[in-house]
Amino acid sequence: MSHDKNFLSVVWDKLKSWEGFLLLVLILIIIGNTSLAPNYLSIGNQMNLFILSIEKIIVALIMAFIIINAEIDLSVSSMMGLSACTLAWLYSQGAPIPVALLAGLLIGVLGGAFNAFWIAKVGLPSLVVTLAMLIGFRGFARVLLEDKSIGDFPVWFDTLGQQPLVGPFPLALLLFFLFVIAAILLLEYSGFGRYVYVIGNSREVAEYSGVKVNRVKTILFIASGTVAALAGLLFAARLGAVRGDLALGFELDIITMVLLGGVSIFGGSGSIYGVLLSIMIVLNLRNGMSLANITGHVQTGVIGMLLILSVLVPNMTQTVRAYLDRRRLAEASSKNNEQLSVNN
Amino acid sequence: MDKKPVLEMKNISKRFDMTQALDNVSLTLYPGEIHALVGENGAGKSTLIKTMTGIYRPDTGNILLDGQPVHIHNSQQAQSHGVAAIYQEPLVFPDLNVAENIFISHRDRGAVVSWKKMYKDAESILEKLDVKLDVKMPARGLTLAAQQAVEIAKAISLDVRVLIMDEPTASLSAHEVAQLFKVANTLREQGVAVLFISHRLEEVFKISDRISVFRDGRHISTNITGDVTHDSLIRDMVGREVGDYFAKSQAEKGEVLVSARGLGKEGVFSDINFDVRRGEVLGFAGLVGSRRTDVGLALFGIEPADAGEIIFEGEPLTMKSPEQALKCGISYLTEDRRQFGLTMPMSITSNISLPTLKRYLSGLGLVKHSREKATAEDYRKRLTIRTPSVNHEVGKLSGGNQQKVMLGKWLNAEPKLFIFDEPTRGIDVGAKAEVHHIINELAEQGLAIILISSDLPEALAMSDRILVMREGKQMGIFNREEATQEIVMTAAMGQSHLTEEISQ
Repeated sequence: MSHDKNFLSVVWDKLKSWEGFLLLVLILIIIGNTSLAPNYLSIGNQMNLFILSIEKIIVALIMAFIIINAEIDLSVSSMMGLSACTLAWLYSQGAPIPVALLAGLLIGVLGGAFNAFWIAKVGLPSLVVTLAMLIGFRGFARVLLEDKSIGDFPVWFDTLGQQPLVGPFPLALLLFFLFVIAAILLLEYSGFGRYVYVIGNSREVAEYSGVKVNRVKTILFIASGTVAALAGLLFAARLGAVRGDLALGFELDIITMVLLGGVSIFGGSGSIYGVLLSIMIVLNLRNGMSLANITGHVQTGVIGMLLILSVLVPNMTQTVRAYLDRRRLAEASSKNNEQLSVNN
Repeated sequence: MDKKPVLEMKNISKRFDMTQALDNVSLTLYPGEIHALVGENGAGKSTLIKTMTGIYRPDTGNILLDGQPVHIHNSQQAQSHGVAAIYQEPLVFPDLNVAENIFISHRDRGAVVSWKKMYKDAESILEKLDVKLDVKMPARGLTLAAQQAVEIAKAISLDVRVLIMDEPTASLSAHEVAQLFKVANTLREQGVAVLFISHRLEEVFKISDRISVFRDGRHISTNITGDVTHDSLIRDMVGREVGDYFAKSQAEKGEVLVSARGLGKEGVFSDINFDVRRGEVLGFAGLVGSRRTDVGLALFGIEPADAGEIIFEGEPLTMKSPEQALKCGISYLTEDRRQFGLTMPMSITSNISLPTLKRYLSGLGLVKHSREKATAEDYRKRLTIRTPSVNHEVGKLSGGNQQKVMLGKWLNAEPKLFIFDEPTRGIDVGAKAEVHHIINELAEQGLAIILISSDLPEALAMSDRILVMREGKQMGIFNREEATQEIVMTAAMGQSHLTEEISQ
């Protein structure tokens, strides 16, 4: 029936979706922010938003894959800390930066593979495994640096990410586009993405259809560890100094971005487009609250409310819809019964 | 019987979507009788029990207790009316002791438990049942029969008047069965009405006073056990017309494609032997718990067998995973669409292409949507899937159309062996005929087919040969010419002397 709908009703359908709702919220936030600060929409400010949050954004993108696959990775921010601390420790021991960077990434691959082993091979719940590694990776990070702060990186490393690299675009922004395009292609258009959705919907159906479920999960967790490690290295470059508590607590913002984006915590549904919109919402909201001189703690509280709403609203609409469906069915069947009794 | 009935089910009907599970059924239970209820799978026995215990509400009809109509909305209400049920798997709490389990449903004991009184009461109940058990022992260590005794004691503590036993002997040893029967006899002497459901006819004859037979949701007969013979009972259970079924076309049989030799899986099934030729339909018949599906799952690599071998195209192999089975050319159509068959929120197209997705990927690993869609359109026409579009959510289709999507999904894998597990369960008559037609067509194209079906007339009409299983054992393979409903049902019920005569 969808093919004979006119253009307007298609647009209306899209707007009724979760993504449409997010878009509306985003527009409202931007209008509000612009009234607070007239040059809010300037390209410089908007670019800054992404540059200052690139670490969370790229991790949120891979987290979307993991949650759609009906798993979760709580260890990402600890991995960010661990990779940054590995870099800083090796550098303080005299290793050149490129070697230290590679080592940081390698830690990410290994840490992800460690998670993958327990989750995919042994079959433990990812919530438990990655919660343990949230503590474990952070512990290693603190062991490496103790309570020191290591900085004095070479200038080129410190400015990595912020200096224009290609035209006016710094590395952070280029990475953002690269990751978004890769995530959209992978999740929405590739065979791998199809498997991610199917497994998230029903692991059993995937297995009964010959999908290599454990392989998909292994790839996802290794990717998550690696991307988190990369994010930690970027964060180290932007801060110019590394401590054991780098990126502490980031997993909350990251998971909020994903869930607010319409990804179901039970897996199987959600899209990168929704996650992108919710990333924009979180960034713009935080920026706007800063403009309005709202303190950081209140900001965190608002983000927390947002998370609850993001889970509550879709659930409520579903409940209402299910109730209406049931009533319709009941009416239809009572009509049927009447007809039957008439026929009899 | 000159006694007054304790429970009467009058003209009960219950419908689920397409199936009339109970059709104007009546059943009367008297105090102090053991009343056996028998019937094939899907005869409506479970639905009737669930109606008695308040899990389902009948669409029409009345339940009378002591001649008074009652409405039972849940199992607590059933209990308060004195109706309780025990099942094949006892529902005891393993970490609580015997006495605690017996009194678990008592909510009127105040805030403080009087342990002494509880132990004494528990002992006196068990004594009434003539069961010797340490009431302080945790339920974990008890045998199945003892756990059932605890459940029966629990029912008695609630002043049970009607006790339903749903296949209580299915997982018991012969000795334990004898114990259970002793308890059942004690209950009868104390004036309890026992409704005894079993697939084992010898037990039914041994223990019951009267026997009722259900078939296709209808009440067929109720007789005093002494007046019933094995033959008359089986005739009542299976006496259905085969008229609605497709005439089987005779496909040409080729060489043997797949064989099982001594196939087994510890604790599930053992010593399964068969050959399936190209163009042949081998039916698998048996009752619930006969483990037919488990053999299918072993062939498809989901629950691999741990004994014997599978020979596929002359090569012995161990089937370890569904990927491997798919590569060999095996398709398995599951009996449970919802849980194992289809991803309901996804489109018809994505469901059909799932096992064969690799064929639709470009060099970069991206899905070629147009080719995928063309395939889905193809099956939509071939299988007459009624849907507005192939992008439609599978979950929104009717059962019959979902079944066809699943068929398309597995046909597209181009199998050599197609295992159908209950391919027509829960779909309407029209869709059923279409599925039968497709199975015939596939056999004509030279596919080897295994058809697992609880619908006996269907299995008989569609199969060239029928393998009958009972509790994980192969009872025999019958040729089409010799297989009648009576013979197959007799084998499935475990009357092995007859089976041996025929297979010789």
